[in-house]
Amino acid sequence: MWDLRLPSGLFFTLLGLILCATGLWYPGHRAPLTEANVNLYAGAGMLVFGGVMLWLARRRS
Amino acid sequence: MTLAPVDYLIIALYFAFVLGIGWLIRKRVATSEDFLTSGRSVPLWITSLAFIAANMGAQEMIGMCASGAKYGIMTAHFYWIGAIPAMIFVGVFMMPFYYGSRARSVPEYLRLRFDEKTRTFNAVTFAAMTIFSSGISMYALGLLFQLVLGWSFTASVLLSAGIVLVYTYLGGLTSAMYNEVLQFFLITLGFTPLAILAVQRAGGWEGMASRLPAVMTHSWRYMDSPASNPMGVEAFGLVMGLGFVLSFGYWCTDFLVVQRALAARTMNAARNTPLVAAFPKMLIPFIVIVPGIAAMALMQMNVGYSLPPKGAGYNYDLTLTTLMASFYPSGLLGVGLTALMASFMSGMAGNVTALNTVWTYDIYQGHIRKGAPDRHYLLVGRLTTIVGTGLSIATAYLAQLYNNIMDLLQLVFGFVNAPLFATFLLGMFWKRATGHGAFAGLLAGTGAAALTHGLTLAEGKGGWIAGLHEFPSTMAQNFWIAIFAWTACFLVTIGMSLLTRPRPEAELTNLVYGIKRLPAPEPGVPWFERPAALAVVVGAACLLLNLWFR
Repeated sequence: MWDLRLPSGLFFTLLGLILCATGLWYPGHRAPLTEANVNLYAGAGMLVFGGVMLWLARRRS
Repeated sequence: MTLAPVDYLIIALYFAFVLGIGWLIRKRVATSEDFLTSGRSVPLWITSLAFIAANMGAQEMIGMCASGAKYGIMTAHFYWIGAIPAMIFVGVFMMPFYYGSRARSVPEYLRLRFDEKTRTFNAVTFAAMTIFSSGISMYALGLLFQLVLGWSFTASVLLSAGIVLVYTYLGGLTSAMYNEVLQFFLITLGFTPLAILAVQRAGGWEGMASRLPAVMTHSWRYMDSPASNPMGVEAFGLVMGLGFVLSFGYWCTDFLVVQRALAARTMNAARNTPLVAAFPKMLIPFIVIVPGIAAMALMQMNVGYSLPPKGAGYNYDLTLTTLMASFYPSGLLGVGLTALMASFMSGMAGNVTALNTVWTYDIYQGHIRKGAPDRHYLLVGRLTTIVGTGLSIATAYLAQLYNNIMDLLQLVFGFVNAPLFATFLLGMFWKRATGHGAFAGLLAGTGAAALTHGLTLAEGKGGWIAGLHEFPSTMAQNFWIAIFAWTACFLVTIGMSLLTRPRPEAELTNLVYGIKRLPAPEPGVPWFERPAALAVVVGAACLLLNLWFR
């Protein structure tokens, strides 16, 4: 049967890549109340989540 | 708040994925049961995440964050008292009868257990309620996006409703549930950074506690009397009204959530669905309520964060979006807004798929056209998706024009819902309860709810018969309305059942406790996958959270 882990893994990997790229290319993008490069950190988190989902999907098939 | 191209890219990526999932699943729909009940074929991790995602509408997210800012950690009672115990109960004790009866919907269970009139009463009020609530949340979303982003009301309403329509039309319940899981991940991952950033900026939990009145960071300490906490409720009203009547009424009898568990492959998985769902559910306060509390602490710190004023207080409904604007740069801001849209869609798809099933099987097949070939009911299910979405959109516009009518409708639905749990409790655990008893009980309970509202006042609401009693808050009034409605329904159902002829036991197999026992654990199921063991772990974890934040 069709496995949801594959599309959700893909989605979060893409989302993570977009956020990391934004964080790296525009390190000056900051929200008013924080000094952190929020895009980069959140993007890294989503990459990890997406990677785990893809790994789980691959392991099953 | 303005969006950059990267934010639009993220929103577009999300739309592409939800539509793509619907497109891929469309091939799995061959019969009406595939479309309306997923053919009982969905894996446990998906049924359980969909179980809570269907309940995590945008209004829930925005409202819980607002309540966090207004009332503090006490808001978590809506989860730790108002959801988890009921989710344990439905999984351990009630699911055997729902799943074991092979009913395709909650109203259908009522027909099997009681009679046609009880089922029709439940089906019709439920169908009306789903349209109403998805319309109302559509209205709230349109209004919010208009205010925050300057998008046109019509554009946000039509776009988000249109996408939900397409993927539910294509793949029915399966597509809605698979998307709900993706939406659940997005909501969680999209809101978690906000919670971390806001709490960190406010100095952690200790820093928040030191800047705010103690009542904001303690959930139980100020529950001794309604006067000592901003909610205006006391422990008894809270536990009985919210924890027992309202929450058991919702989690144990609302087809919107029960439908997700019924899509599971086996009885054991159906029973585990709410139990597994309870783990993430009890952690949600940390990503929606705690940031609201942090927002209030930030206001004390003069760092440049403030909520817009409204009347004598603040416009709490903007807590979530103002926090996002303060902590999310372009990029993650797109993710945050997409998460908000995702929560709206998961709530709306929940309503639409529940309406499809109840309309097709309980109203159309039950009263309008019996015995048609299955192909016909599949078509009716699909058309219901379109008509239901259309009616929800109409409701959203109606809400924009006539706010008072919407308040009135919400009140009436509340009256109808309040006594429901008494009917199911007696139906499942007392074989002597009869159809006439259940129907009379429901009417009496609804009447008692209306009467309580008419005789009491709270914040200027109610008291349209006489003002016998004044509650300190509408929340306290709602809890007590529920308590009276439940009690009336419970007593009248018992009384009327004793006066009417019982159904022969042979007709009640698999429907009532005692005529068929709770199922024995399936062989080969390890202990940690058994409902009883999971229930103990969930219960202990929930108790711990209550003690920790007392």
